[in-house]
Amino acid sequence: MQNNWFIPLLAAPALVCVAPSYAAQYLTIEQAQKLMFPNADGFAAQAVALDARLKRAIKERSGVAVRNDSQPVWRVQAGGKQLGWFIVDEVIGKHEFITYALALDMSGAILGVEIMDYRETHGHEVRNAKWRAQFKGKRAGEAFELDEDIQNISGATLSCKHIADGAKRLVALYEAALR
Amino acid sequence: MSGEFALRRARPLLGTLVEIGLTADDADRGQQAINAAFEQVARIQRLMSFHDPASELSRLNGAMPGEVLSVTPELYAVLSAALRFAHLSDGLFDPTVAPRLCTLGYLPRHGFIGDGVGDWRDIELLPGNRVCLHRPLHLDLGGIAKGYAVDRALACLRERGIDQAVVNAGGDLAVLGETAVPVHVRHPHDPIRYLHLAELRRGAVASSAGYFSARQHLGAWVTPLLNPRSQACLGLDVSISVFAADCMTADALTKVVAADPDGADAVLASCAAHACVLRIDEDAAVMPTWLSGRAWREPCAVGREAVRRV
Repeated sequence: MQNNWFIPLLAAPALVCVAPSYAAQYLTIEQAQKLMFPNADGFAAQAVALDARLKRAIKERSGVAVRNDSQPVWRVQAGGKQLGWFIVDEVIGKHEFITYALALDMSGAILGVEIMDYRETHGHEVRNAKWRAQFKGKRAGEAFELDEDIQNISGATLSCKHIADGAKRLVALYEAALR
Repeated sequence: MSGEFALRRARPLLGTLVEIGLTADDADRGQQAINAAFEQVARIQRLMSFHDPASELSRLNGAMPGEVLSVTPELYAVLSAALRFAHLSDGLFDPTVAPRLCTLGYLPRHGFIGDGVGDWRDIELLPGNRVCLHRPLHLDLGGIAKGYAVDRALACLRERGIDQAVVNAGGDLAVLGETAVPVHVRHPHDPIRYLHLAELRRGAVASSAGYFSARQHLGAWVTPLLNPRSQACLGLDVSISVFAADCMTADALTKVVAADPDGADAVLASCAAHACVLRIDEDAAVMPTWLSGRAWREPCAVGREAVRRV
């Protein structure tokens, strides 16, 4: 009984199997739209151009800097009435690149956040330099093998602060440009 | 329900990304089960977040010493488990280390009464889901509630007829069903490279390490992984993974193993859990040490030699 959940494994040879990056695709735009607004019958694309004035206004309201010059936004409709807004956004963290969808109702309240796409980035040797400096030149020396079948990573604990900041920025965009 | 449709969804919850993957006969039913499971996780977050001043945990932290408070069965269950792990480990798991984590900048200061001095022995659980803190403690369930949330999400999927699923809350991971899934763990020195750790079915694994959370404080590297007795920061050069039947146990025991890898055997045994400690040796090779309730594993250099679980 004790070991039912644990399958014997070949830990040592497996441990040299190291992959350089990880990616997961969760939802396409259409899938995210249907999931977040199941009753909608139309999504009208209405990208918002982010000029300098709008960027300033969003930064002032949210405290979060705006990097892109355009924001993909859809007006969500059902039976000739507008239900809310569907916005696609990207955030870049220290190691991760995340595309997500935010659903807003007509008052600008957040109905939901769904991750669409998640990638861990290369270039970590540079980004991670300060952290690694403490090991005084020690470097991981494993054979570098690509493992395409990574699905479940234990010990992640990547912060979702960037997504929280992104959502704040998008609510400010709603207030400044969509309301 | 067998699996014709494979669904995989992720939402930002519990301060990390929570991912749910499952197979289902019917895509809509699968999606509904996922939505319900995410709602369970969101509920645990609302109850047990230290960061959220409106959470039930924050209400408890704001109580006067000696005051008796009624809490939800969920919070009571997690507090009961936390005290059980604290007792088993003689305080190497302790849900009262928040003041130190506030000092290190990992948790916000809410201006709760007192300085938070005290330990797990100052928490009294009373019948009828009532709790009394005998000193002005600052409780933080960050070392256990994520695992509990994963267990609840998985239970929610099971209740909806799902029989094959994986829930992963930023590294606290549990598997439902008979199909084994590969589990990778991050390289302790290079966290966006992955090491194949195990094939897991019907069980859970949680990992703790300092790679993403390490920061400098007063000139020294610190992590949010503390030895409650010495207040020393752990996990700087090491990664700890614990396997157990449920994710709450796995989550809590990573802290016990981190604090005392050499003394964790008895606690692991009493919880029917196993641990894998990954260290980096002088030649920069990954060195796994397997700890188990029943048998010690000597360190084994990564190479041709296989380490087989009994």
